[in-house]
Amino acid sequence: MSDTNDVYDVNRRNFLKGLMGGAGAAAAIAAYEALAENPAALLAQETTTAAQSEDGLGPLSSAGDGGPVDVLERMRVELRRALQKPTGERRWVMVIDLRKCVGCHACTIACVAENKLPPGVVYRPVIEEEWGTYPNVGRRFVPRPCMQCDNPPCTPVCPVNATFKNEDGIVEVDYEQCIGCRACLTACPYGARTSDFGLTYTESTPVAAGLIAGRETADNYERVANFEYGRQYPREGHHSPMGNARKCHFCMHRIRVGELPACVTTCIGRATLFGDANDPDSLVSEMIAKPNVMRLKEELGTEPRVYYLT
Amino acid sequence: MLSQKNVKRFIYLLGIVAVVLGIYGFYSRLFFGERDVNYGSYVNWGLWVAMYLFFAGMAAGSYMVATLDYVFNLSAFKGTGKYGLWAAMVTLPGALIFIGFDLGHMERVWKVYLQPNFSSLLAQLVWSYTLFLIVTVTSLYFAMRNNLALLKPIMVVGLVLAIFVSGGVGALLGVNASRATLHTAMLPAQFPILNLTSGVALMLLIVNLFNVISDEEQRNRLTRILRYILVVLIIVKAYFLWVDYSQALYSGVPDAVDAVNLVLFGTYGWAFWILQVGLGMVLPVIVLLQPNLSNKKMLVGLMGLLVLLGLAVARTAIIFPAMAIPELEGLAEAFTGPHLGYDYVPSLMEWSVTLGIVGLSTLAFLIGTDFIGFFKDSSEVAK
Repeated sequence: MSDTNDVYDVNRRNFLKGLMGGAGAAAAIAAYEALAENPAALLAQETTTAAQSEDGLGPLSSAGDGGPVDVLERMRVELRRALQKPTGERRWVMVIDLRKCVGCHACTIACVAENKLPPGVVYRPVIEEEWGTYPNVGRRFVPRPCMQCDNPPCTPVCPVNATFKNEDGIVEVDYEQCIGCRACLTACPYGARTSDFGLTYTESTPVAAGLIAGRETADNYERVANFEYGRQYPREGHHSPMGNARKCHFCMHRIRVGELPACVTTCIGRATLFGDANDPDSLVSEMIAKPNVMRLKEELGTEPRVYYLT
Repeated sequence: MLSQKNVKRFIYLLGIVAVVLGIYGFYSRLFFGERDVNYGSYVNWGLWVAMYLFFAGMAAGSYMVATLDYVFNLSAFKGTGKYGLWAAMVTLPGALIFIGFDLGHMERVWKVYLQPNFSSLLAQLVWSYTLFLIVTVTSLYFAMRNNLALLKPIMVVGLVLAIFVSGGVGALLGVNASRATLHTAMLPAQFPILNLTSGVALMLLIVNLFNVISDEEQRNRLTRILRYILVVLIIVKAYFLWVDYSQALYSGVPDAVDAVNLVLFGTYGWAFWILQVGLGMVLPVIVLLQPNLSNKKMLVGLMGLLVLLGLAVARTAIIFPAMAIPELEGLAEAFTGPHLGYDYVPSLMEWSVTLGIVGLSTLAFLIGTDFIGFFKDSSEVAK
């Protein structure tokens, strides 16, 4: 009897979870679309939030409390300011301060979690470099997102126009258009694209008891939709993005609703900065004007939008 | 000494065995996608792309050889045109299956026809190969109807297409500026020669192993010409190889040097020296230059097969090392996982598919030449 009730409970709970999850996802999409259509509302919302110090978020720099301001707060304000401009007038860039990067890989993991990346797919690996001989040894960490090149070699090779620079200047992959030929992977000089071979972390793992940490829950987590490019892509059957080329997109789905990319918000050393380089007052504009700025393989003329401070 | 009939039976048997061994690979690819392949995101083109280059090369080369009979009317090649066309007919679909299986979403290939990006060489090649397939089928149709008036112009078009697709494949690889070994103007120039070599080697094999030319005198004359052409082409190929590798080594560009070193002394070194150079070039040149080979059809046919083997390995030597050099140092160790390595050895499933397609093409060739009336009388077109 009790077994039957347990099964009933489990089924009912799963049903309610599914229902709530579905409703939540629908609400998130609706909110995303509303916000993306009206960026001005974002700034208004942010100002209101800033004024209410008791709301837990704390004041932004515009609140003027005179104390040190976390660069994340500054970048969020700048991001929302940039979103008020026409799309073509903003120029998203990422600046990575190699002197501040401690090699914790939090950005890599945040990216995997945000975009629900399966095994073998990575958007932002952190390359470790060592040089010199003891006792004069140096070591540094180089995160490598997609460079979002202004002259991307990966887009013209696509036989079906599935990858292109969108109106935000971000190199996008249209998952439903991509045929999976991997020509773009060959063309990218930075190795910044990976192919999704349809694997999951939970397959072939033992089924554990319990609802919270069991395989079923983990499996659900893996298969539930991500929100890349503002669309939903659940991992079912052999549907996209399985079989597709995949790459970093600066968390475009987050940017459009006024949120910084996941790798930026999780960087414990504040080594990764993001913003509009067309805004002369933005943090990234200040940074890329410094003499110690460089870009990877600049000699190729790809004009990367990722800058490194060395 | 095996009779030619027994040789053919043996090849039939090999073809059947290859197809049976291929069932696993086809099943795995069609029902589970690319999960069991060993190529990935860094070595993103593997054995199947190399075999696509090889099979497409045989198709284009065989078509080129067929024009020696049907377009240029060379008397020594009389009666061989239809076998060249049939060889192209059975190898081209093999090439297309290889490249189709390599696609993450092969069900979307229609998009290349209806929504193409013509600035992409890949799109141009898909269209060109489709056109080439149509022209090959049409050529074969006119050849079977003995309609020489229409056959000749269509084969002129086909010849131009065969050269274009050959060079195009070289260009498809060569435009990748990020890959030092691929980014060379040599590839578009090399590929038509390599493909013609494939076609000549295949014809040498067909003529000597399958007894398709009944007139012994013509067969000997044709074999002699094919032998000398093949030797010249192998020497040209050796020159290309020297130019390619010496340019890379003398340039001192680390990526290019590393890739060439990988070919010569790395994981694939044995395949290069033993299969590509030793068995695929040196041995055939020595044997084919021997004066008295008229009674050694098996040996001559085998040399054709070895040259083909060497050319297949040559395609892998173009693809694998170029992919095996990291775009950024340290990338391989930065994040590990399945399909994220620079060391590539084809998986069992990839080999299985390869064997299956080789078997299917071989059987298709034999069944066609044995059971289609058009191929039974080799002197039909000559008359």
